[in-house]
Amino acid sequence: MGKVTAKSPIAVRVAALAICAGVGALLARAVLAIPETEPGLAPLVDANLAVSGVKNAVTAVLLNFRGYDTLLEIAVLVLATIGVLSLSVTQTGTWDPIAAQADPVLSALARFLAPVMILVSGYLLWAGEHAPGGAFQAGSVLGAAGVLLALSGYARPIWVSRFALRAAISVGFVVFLATAIGEMLAGGLLLEYPADLAKTLMLVVETWLTVSIGAILISLFIASASPAEELRRRSGGGE
Amino acid sequence: MAEWIARQLPALVVLVPFTAAPLAYLLGTGFGRQIALISALLSQPLAILLAVTVVREGELRYEVGGWGGPLGIDLVVDGFTAVMVLVTTVVGLFVTVYALGYFGNRERYRFFWPLWLFLWGSLHALFLSGDIFNLYVCLELVSMSAVALVGLTLRREALVAAMRYMLAAILGSLFYLLGVALIYGAFGSVDMQTLREVVRSDTTGQAALALMTVGLVLKTALFPLHFWLPPAHSNAPSPVSAVLSALVVKGSFYILVRLWVDVAEPMAFPGVSTVLGVLGSTAIIWGSIQAFRQQRLKMLVAYSTVAQIGYLFLLFPLVTGGGQAAADAWMGGIFHAVSHALAKSAMFLAAGTVLARFGHDRIDGLGGLSRRAPVTAMAFGLAGVTMMGLPPSGGFVAKWQMIRASIESGEWWWAAVVVTGGLLAAAYVFRVVGPFFGREVDDLDDADLNAGPSPWTMESAALVLAIGALVLGIVGQPLLDLIMVSAPALVAGVTP
Repeated sequence: MGKVTAKSPIAVRVAALAICAGVGALLARAVLAIPETEPGLAPLVDANLAVSGVKNAVTAVLLNFRGYDTLLEIAVLVLATIGVLSLSVTQTGTWDPIAAQADPVLSALARFLAPVMILVSGYLLWAGEHAPGGAFQAGSVLGAAGVLLALSGYARPIWVSRFALRAAISVGFVVFLATAIGEMLAGGLLLEYPADLAKTLMLVVETWLTVSIGAILISLFIASASPAEELRRRSGGGE
Repeated sequence: MAEWIARQLPALVVLVPFTAAPLAYLLGTGFGRQIALISALLSQPLAILLAVTVVREGELRYEVGGWGGPLGIDLVVDGFTAVMVLVTTVVGLFVTVYALGYFGNRERYRFFWPLWLFLWGSLHALFLSGDIFNLYVCLELVSMSAVALVGLTLRREALVAAMRYMLAAILGSLFYLLGVALIYGAFGSVDMQTLREVVRSDTTGQAALALMTVGLVLKTALFPLHFWLPPAHSNAPSPVSAVLSALVVKGSFYILVRLWVDVAEPMAFPGVSTVLGVLGSTAIIWGSIQAFRQQRLKMLVAYSTVAQIGYLFLLFPLVTGGGQAAADAWMGGIFHAVSHALAKSAMFLAAGTVLARFGHDRIDGLGGLSRRAPVTAMAFGLAGVTMMGLPPSGGFVAKWQMIRASIESGEWWWAAVVVTGGLLAAAYVFRVVGPFFGREVDDLDDADLNAGPSPWTMESAALVLAIGALVLGIVGQPLLDLIMVSAPALVAGVTP
């Protein structure tokens, strides 16, 4: 295996260009050959929307028709976070502030923005039932609020233990899983929502997913702060 | 209760490790070990029950959410699925037992347990999935957990290998996803059963299959796209090496077989199976030669994986013609995946015991190992018998089936490759096993940090797997029957 150099020889670069151009041409041909009248599952989704428990087709697909995919996707997020934590220098995953000294302007702005962002997150979560929105969007806004706070020098509240952080990261997956297993125990199949409870159960699952996705995004951001920074902080008695 | 388990069986197989994984993370160090062991033990009867049910009742279909494909996602279990779940569960149990001794209670390795349980659950989910988009999610789960496990020691070489592995794995996944998108665009479904009826061999279909094949071949590390495998598999902690070589590479291979032999069989163009066969043959020869040239035991075992992966790909040219040859090739290829999983995990676990106890795995410093660590030397040697394909091992049965298939199909040259590969395997196995039982060299001082004999669980876990690979040849017939349950039409000889 050759040493990684900043500049590859011209022949390698030409070859790489040729491969990319070839794959690009193949893709273009394949996409252009797709018939105009796309088949697809949209009619089937519309036909079943009434019994899904929600009015937004995207939410119905994500949480109900293909809820199994979403269950595994939230597992991907939890798993990726565990992976990043296992590779980070401190391995603790505590939400310590990244900026040592807070910029007063940024700090004041964050103080103003964070509550608004949490409110927006709650709205997006609720809106997902009948309009674009849902747990992933709501969780992203929640995560952004946390990142903003960390960047503006706000520390994690002292009462939030490491166990609570782990719980926040995994609670969405655990609740989703518990719901799925509960449905099996109630006589249905995995992720088979009883018709009268579908809406409530999906909202419960989505609420906890929002919390987890927010916590996961904050953890990923903070854990991947530059190792030099972490080491400096550690040598300063930060741990 | 029994009725409930029977009805929910396919879901339970996936749910047990997936429930254990977040619990192991949540509860932390001490509990992770117990939870992993409980999950491993619970999985055993479920996997056996799954195989028994498939033999009795044929293909099982579990409609997640009660919708059924193509709107929902189906879990599908046929003989191929049941065999792969069974071997994952058996190897998984012994790797778990080994890891209990290997990692001990060390806080630094607390992340091993949730990551390993996630990987285990993802493999089960992958083998059961009947939906090509859901398979993409499963592939991501498998890759993410595998990459994190490779880097677990945080050693420099391990991190570099993990990074390279991750780049290769992500590139492979994205190629696969691109193909899934094209297939959905052209044929309007991602459900395999629906696709089987509607796929056509048009431009989009061929491009999709080509992209997916390249991506999956990269993830399976078929020559010449194997570059990431030896550093990743040899630098990982040994229980992880065992899982990667025994099970993880077979996940992407499994999808490749499903696609070509099962779903898109009507659109197969014969040139591709020949190319896969030729690449497989090259992998056997080249990987074996590289294995012979290695100085470190774990690198030798890793290159042996590159070679053994080659055999799996002989399945493609040999099934193309249909008939008895296809059935024999199908049984041989899958049987090889099983026997290699047992033997290779035994080899890596044995190599890991050597490395943990003596602090090095330089081959020229391991002479006389049989006197210092007889069980481990024995485990490595017995696993080597399967690797060479000597009777009565599982490797022998697999190769026997492949040779039969190549003679029945008239393509005798594949048989020549199989035989040559066996001889080359003998060369690299004897290169290490010979000195193991020979004169003692001075290099076998117990390493300071880990003085004293290894826990008996570690040594015996490797030995049990090696014996399993060996006796697989004697008790192989039920397994061959299981492999043929609800096999694809091409293989089962049914002409629609």
